[in-house]
Amino acid sequence: MTGPLTGVATVFRRELATVVRTPGYGVLAVGLLAAVGGLLAAGGGGATGFVPAVVDLLLPTEALVPVAAVVLGYRALLADGASGELAVIRTYPVRVGEYVAGVLLARTVALVAVVGVPYAVVGVGVWLTAAPDTGIFATHAGVDSPLLYLRFLAFVLLLGAAYVSLAAAVSALAASRRSAIALGALALVAGVLGGDLLLLRSLGGGASSATIPGSLPLTPNGAFRGLVFEHVIGVAFAPEGDFVATGRAVGSLVGWTLLGAVVAGATLAYGRRVDAAIERVRSGFGG
Amino acid sequence: MTVFDPYGDPSRALRIALGALLLAAVVATAGAFAADPESAAPSPVAYDDAVELGLSSETDALMAGSARVPRTQVFYSQLQYVVGYNGVESFAATLGDGRTERQFGYPIAAYVETFDDARPGTTETGLFESTFAGEWTPAAEAVYVVGSDARSPAGETVVPFRTREAAEAFAADHGGRAVGWEAVRSRSYDTDSAATVRSMAPERWDAADERIAAAERRADRPVSVVVGEDAPTVEAAVAAAPANTTVVVPPGTYEETLTVNESVTIAGEDARISGDGDGSVITVRAPDVALTGLSVDGSGGQTRDPEAAREGREGGGGSGESDAGEVWDTNIQLGYGHGDAGIRAVDAPGLVVDDVTVEANASGLLLREGSHAVVRGLRVDGTAEWQDGFMGITGMQSRVTVTDSRFEGGRDGIYLHRADGSVVRNSTFADNRYGTHLMYTGDALLADNAFRNELFAGITVMTRPSGNAIVGNDVRNSSAGVQASGTRTYVGYNTLVDNELGFSTSSRGSLYERNVAADNELGARATTVVPSSRVVANDFVGNAEHAAAGAGALRVWADGDRGNYWEGANVGVHEPGERAYRPTSPVDGALHREVAAVAVRESPAVALLDRLRGTVPGARSGSVIDPAPASAPYSPDRIDAALDPGAGAVHADWRAELDGRSGDGDGDAAMNARDRNATSGGIDPRAKRNGSTTPAAPVAPATSPTPATTEGPGDA
Repeated sequence: MTGPLTGVATVFRRELATVVRTPGYGVLAVGLLAAVGGLLAAGGGGATGFVPAVVDLLLPTEALVPVAAVVLGYRALLADGASGELAVIRTYPVRVGEYVAGVLLARTVALVAVVGVPYAVVGVGVWLTAAPDTGIFATHAGVDSPLLYLRFLAFVLLLGAAYVSLAAAVSALAASRRSAIALGALALVAGVLGGDLLLLRSLGGGASSATIPGSLPLTPNGAFRGLVFEHVIGVAFAPEGDFVATGRAVGSLVGWTLLGAVVAGATLAYGRRVDAAIERVRSGFGG
Repeated sequence: MTVFDPYGDPSRALRIALGALLLAAVVATAGAFAADPESAAPSPVAYDDAVELGLSSETDALMAGSARVPRTQVFYSQLQYVVGYNGVESFAATLGDGRTERQFGYPIAAYVETFDDARPGTTETGLFESTFAGEWTPAAEAVYVVGSDARSPAGETVVPFRTREAAEAFAADHGGRAVGWEAVRSRSYDTDSAATVRSMAPERWDAADERIAAAERRADRPVSVVVGEDAPTVEAAVAAAPANTTVVVPPGTYEETLTVNESVTIAGEDARISGDGDGSVITVRAPDVALTGLSVDGSGGQTRDPEAAREGREGGGGSGESDAGEVWDTNIQLGYGHGDAGIRAVDAPGLVVDDVTVEANASGLLLREGSHAVVRGLRVDGTAEWQDGFMGITGMQSRVTVTDSRFEGGRDGIYLHRADGSVVRNSTFADNRYGTHLMYTGDALLADNAFRNELFAGITVMTRPSGNAIVGNDVRNSSAGVQASGTRTYVGYNTLVDNELGFSTSSRGSLYERNVAADNELGARATTVVPSSRVVANDFVGNAEHAAAGAGALRVWADGDRGNYWEGANVGVHEPGERAYRPTSPVDGALHREVAAVAVRESPAVALLDRLRGTVPGARSGSVIDPAPASAPYSPDRIDAALDPGAGAVHADWRAELDGRSGDGDGDAAMNARDRNATSGGIDPRAKRNGSTTPAAPVAPATSPTPATTEGPGDA
């Protein structure tokens, strides 16, 4: 039992144990369930079907899922580094890449539980309760099906995975818990608002509207929103939808996930040397 | 601590379970993307179960004969209800308008009724008919005959067939040519809309003027007989008078009942004709009779005639055209048309009633079998309890023109059954059950009347007639202001104050505009499941609740960027008209009553929920949204007058306004769906009240003003 998989599996198990022993994540899942279910109940979309339910959830999801993902990820790598455990782990035959992959995998599984389960529960609730409000007339489902909600769920998890990975990168970069929180919040704001603000600004600055399909999926939120419109909500509109290029959007979400992982790994592998270099420069200036 | 041990090797079963779970998740997710949710086309349903739009199927022409309108049923992507259209062209007209798609999504399946084996043909009057009902065929596969001589009550009709042979055979007999679906959907149809009805309202008013003027000329005849001088009784005088002369009745009370069989004018001067409490006092059985200056009392108190009802059931009774023994509305005709009355007219067209007072024990004036009448200055005092008496005017198959009259007490002020083209205007109604009550009566004008303290409603239209105009009326202190079923109804410029319900949008494909709903318990109620009307430029002020909605898709009450005025909609920190107003939401609905609601409305949660509310409207239920609430009332003068306790009835100068814009077209493409129908029974059980096809049973008492079905317009 040697090789990179063993290392990843070991770190994964260890990380999973950490997650399970953190009761806060359970609370997070319950809170998310309450928020999502409450929004749906107040919005009323879930009373009639999956598409209106997704319409009601789209906007809050764009904020709630990144928050949950950042909460899951912002200390993932920092904690071991700060406590010195990472240094101990590094004495074992586990490479930085394996370590980061294991941690991220475990955190992604946690994301599936913490985010996926509340959304799935809400989806089942919609399935059980959505019905026309009168039985006097013949009814049909229209273009509405649990499959559409399943698509939504898949996009939600993709979005969440991207943010977990980015948050992990942040936690690798952060020097302390406090700076991890600050950096995480920064990543959150940049991700949730920044991308679209940049897009707005470039449009306001004279960029052609023809650039929208290309630039929208560049940010995780834009890609997610485009995918939901293209494959879930748009299905109920005219058959031909062209909200976003599916491949580009999925590629963007996967790309952000990989980017986060790579940055995290690079930081752990070379961060110390960079720190040392910076320190030398600083002392040089100061001296 | 065996609950979770991440370090131990999981058991084989657990591994398999985890693997299976993972595999299932992957397969399900892949399947969710591989499957096409649009692919499964639903099968046709029983047409009666569809929510019906398009032409009215309850016009006189259709109810009385074997004529049919080819039907269509459509399944929309965002709407849970199956929509039925009377008339293929009604459906085709919605395909290009964009509005239907915004509201209901696109059609995922459409079926048309094809008549290959149904023995299609035309009636004597050119209406399309068939011996049997057709069968359902996907619209894209059917072959259509266009340009044939087959017509619907509203004009051109397209006749669908399953096979090209059958279509060509029909075209060979009736003209026209066979075309495919693409050709049908791209044609434009000359269809009327509620906006057409609006533009016709002033014309109907003018037509009434002409009828009244003609009636005056008709009644003005040379005197031939004077009661008391030339004849002892009124009846003897009438018998003695030659046709086209006047019988003068000098002041006094004449205790008799009489039948008029000659075309004469009976001109009283402060004269009272007093019956013996048995049967009708004056019975008119000749054309062009005029009754002026009379007071009538002492009729019998029978509201219907059991004799007539029995004869009718045995066949041959009731009205004409009973080729199959019993006409479809025999029950109503017998039930309502054969009671006692102060003045009863049977088959007496051209009747003129001018300056007449009736103290009614049953009906005041009863018109039957084509007794088209002009009534001016009629005053009917009915019974104190409506159950004891009957209608001020009962009109069966008789077109009435009523002006400057007054109806107090009794059952309904005016009840009309199959009285197309009637006009009721400038009249006052008080303490009736219904003020004016229409059944199977279309193309009517009810204008500038005042209604007070009506037990059930000021104006109610039951069944599904089309083309009625209800304009400029003032209804107060009643259970409901205007409750009109039907299709293509124009409800405009009415002032509805202090009622339990201002108006319901029960009529489909209709236009509700420029109404003022003030100080009502409920301003307006949206009832039909599938919205198809426009509700725009109305003013809602001071109502406990501005609007409510029954089951069904989201109602969008606006026409493009033109909405309604809602008191309270513009409070808060935004530009007037910038923020959508949802009168059915608990927060927005409280804005005009509780200032604190403004702060709640600005909360992120509410703002968030507001955001996407208008998306997929067809799949939203039970609410009303006005995306562009007006910043100021449309009719401030009428609101002021309505809220001023000292002011009298309020009537808008609608004729001038409508004449002024009759040319602008107003783009009513979507209304061309001409939605028919309304009622269909309604959605919630209570809705049945308005939609009931039996006149006899306006069931619910005044306590629940729930109107029936209807409506909503839409346009996002």
